[in-house]
Amino acid sequence: MTRRRWLAVAALSGLLLAAGMQQRYDSTVDYFGERSAFVSLPPGKTLRILSFGYRNLVADMLFIWSIQFYSTYNIRNRFDFIERVYDTITDITPEYKEPYIIGSLIMAHEAQDVPMALRLLDKGSRLNPGEWIFDHDAGFYCYKYLKDYTKAEEYYNRAAANPGAPVFIKRMKAHLVYLRDDPEVATRMWLDIYRSAEDTLTRDSAFNHLYQIKAETDLPLLRERIVEYQRRYRRLPAALSDLARAGLVREVPRDFSGNEYIYDPAVGTVTAQRIFRWKKR
Amino acid sequence: MKALEIKGLKKSFRSNFLIKKFNILKGIDLDVEKGEIYGFLGPNGAGKTTTIKCIMGLLSPDSGEVRVDGLPAHAAAARQRIGFLPENPYFYDYLTAREFLLFSASLFNIPEKEMRDKVAALIHRVGLSGHEDLKLRKFSKGMIQRLGLAQALVNDPDLLILDEPFSGLDPVGRKDLRLLILALREQGKTVFFSSHILQDMELMADRVGIILAGTIRRQGKLSELIARSTQYVEVVCDRIAPKELARIHPDHALRDNQSVLTLAGDADVNLVVESIIHSGGRILAVNPVKMTLEDIFFSEMAGGANGVPTSQSNGTGAPPNPSTLGGKP
Amino acid sequence: MKPAIRGIAVNTFRESARNKMFYLLVFFGILFALSSKLVSFLTLGDAMKVLKDTGLAAINFFCVLIAIFTGINLVYKEIEKKTVFNILSKPLSRDEFIAGKFLGLALTMLTALGAMAVIFFAFVAVSGGGFDLGILLYFFMLYLELLVIVAISLLFSSFTTPILSFIFTVSLYLIGQVMWTFNEFKDYLAIPLWRVFTQGLYYLLPNLHKFNIKNEVVMGTAIDPWSVLFSVLYALAYVLALLALTVLIFRRREFQ
Repeated sequence: MTRRRWLAVAALSGLLLAAGMQQRYDSTVDYFGERSAFVSLPPGKTLRILSFGYRNLVADMLFIWSIQFYSTYNIRNRFDFIERVYDTITDITPEYKEPYIIGSLIMAHEAQDVPMALRLLDKGSRLNPGEWIFDHDAGFYCYKYLKDYTKAEEYYNRAAANPGAPVFIKRMKAHLVYLRDDPEVATRMWLDIYRSAEDTLTRDSAFNHLYQIKAETDLPLLRERIVEYQRRYRRLPAALSDLARAGLVREVPRDFSGNEYIYDPAVGTVTAQRIFRWKKR
Repeated sequence: MKALEIKGLKKSFRSNFLIKKFNILKGIDLDVEKGEIYGFLGPNGAGKTTTIKCIMGLLSPDSGEVRVDGLPAHAAAARQRIGFLPENPYFYDYLTAREFLLFSASLFNIPEKEMRDKVAALIHRVGLSGHEDLKLRKFSKGMIQRLGLAQALVNDPDLLILDEPFSGLDPVGRKDLRLLILALREQGKTVFFSSHILQDMELMADRVGIILAGTIRRQGKLSELIARSTQYVEVVCDRIAPKELARIHPDHALRDNQSVLTLAGDADVNLVVESIIHSGGRILAVNPVKMTLEDIFFSEMAGGANGVPTSQSNGTGAPPNPSTLGGKP
Repeated sequence: MKPAIRGIAVNTFRESARNKMFYLLVFFGILFALSSKLVSFLTLGDAMKVLKDTGLAAINFFCVLIAIFTGINLVYKEIEKKTVFNILSKPLSRDEFIAGKFLGLALTMLTALGAMAVIFFAFVAVSGGGFDLGILLYFFMLYLELLVIVAISLLFSSFTTPILSFIFTVSLYLIGQVMWTFNEFKDYLAIPLWRVFTQGLYYLLPNLHKFNIKNEVVMGTAIDPWSVLFSVLYALAYVLALLALTVLIFRRREFQ
């Protein structure tokens, strides 16, 4: 019994000592440190062979590990090999969607290299025909970071062309057309969405966009005519209907809901009842 | 002090967690006197090897006590004085006989230097001379058994425990082993050996313990076990007419032209013999026919099968009184 | 040392030294180490680096293989072939038996690694390279790792079958190689219980990555002497714990 207790103590203290040494060892070593962890990463096609039939597992491991790695913010130069890493993962399992999505997100958002993200997403949509998400994401990055609305619209067009592409891509596209300063086409597209909407969210969204676009066309026009009225009559119009009477407008425009725009005769300002601020340039 | 003393030894095994315990030893009591040859007799599966493994510390008993020379058996000091030959021994086949004996000696903490000279003598003693440097994988079963005996003697033990030492030996080997065991007794060593073969017991054992289904059924001096069981006396004679014989004793028969009279154990043999001589007959032999160990053994087995306990040591844990054993007709 | 422990150790060593499998593995280790020359022909630039890389990898691989196989086989075979009856019936405690087995295995590994190391150094010299103290340090660290592996396989073979021991030991070896990533993972675990669990595993399971300094010594990267010291102490403490555990299990074992 005493011998047994002795052994148990030896086992326990050995483990504790080992744990202590491990802790001390860890404090002397910077695991990622200066040396790059990726130098020895074999190309994806080689890894695909080396995975011996477990290629999903290998891709999973690499992917999971890459997530940990890229969210460790204190590693210097951690983006040096990012394109290679995600290229490798997507070579092992080209049909695995998340690495494209997460990888491009890290590239665009963290590494701030949108062209690289677009290359990865292009590879995704090339290797996964019929899948809209890659083009959608690419369109989004063009819109968000590059502010290249033409290119973004192209991506959205491609995304929307895929069967099963969700309706919001259409909305995104219409919005991009609007952002590109083509309100007429944008209005047409939004009206189309508005009429064919099957749910209230889509309808409301389209309505709001149409309201915004109409207001953005109407309000500058009204302001211009108010200035013209003031120049002609040396006073502000008492109401917006004065503009029509004076022949400055054929008819006083109303907002998309059919209500009149709000006019303040004291200072001559005109505003819409509802104001949206989507347009950020 | 007894050379080996076992009291109330119990051992059970579980074949798995769900199945209930299987009792192998149900309370073994036995004692071995110093300097005797003790035969541990029982059929296969009775618990002979399990008992021996408990003695050697290979199994830990559920309850009970095993003492060697007064020391608890699990103490290293106790095993220092025991020589053990396992059942169907198997030794490292990549060693030579010499290397193996030196290795065995080292386990008794005997330095190699001290042992080197003794090895040759030991090898000679068990009849393996000339095979010292042969790898054990080239050994026959009988040779392995002889080598097993040599390794049991390597520490010059006081007590030898041999588990089925005669199995696998040819007639010459059996005779050699018998002589060796008897010689060891001459040297004052105690030998405890198990066997399921009755002949081995009758030829060698001073005392015998019979184990059946995990209990000791009988224990006692072989001569006592047998002497108390004289069944009848045979008187063999010739040159006498059957008519005359019938007058002298009713139970007679003709065998190979000789007449055989069968007398009850307590009959007056002298009277019968005198009557035959008087009638002109010739006495060829007078044979007291004793109950053999085999008969005792089978009567015990039959008793066990009928569920009738035939001695005190029937598993109740009460130690048997040797003086009352073996007296049953 | 008690003659009994030395007897077991020497006999254990003798058993592996008279085993064909052992020689086969040592032979293949050396063969592959030498074939690194062929690989080095294929490279451009520093051929010596490739030669060392490939050679050390071969030695590492085969030594680990030998450690696992001999470690698993030796105790199990004693039980399977019942030679253990003969040994444990001698005045020798089970602690001493395990200690002797471990020492014998340590001696076996020293011989195997020593033979490969000597040939490797000679081969590097013949190929025009100098003696490298760093590589000697690597062999030392590899030896420590082998001791841990041997102790692990000894632990498993004291209570389970060789095939299971093999699976367990190989798994622990592979886990041990990537154990360091646990340290990185744990910061991302949201549930504190999981973090404690991971932390526990990190310190409980063998952490073998630290012994693998072959990449550093070939590249000539500086190695912190403290990290070497901690690795040595780690190996000793971990082996001690494993052996104590093995004995605890082995003492309870019965031999039917």
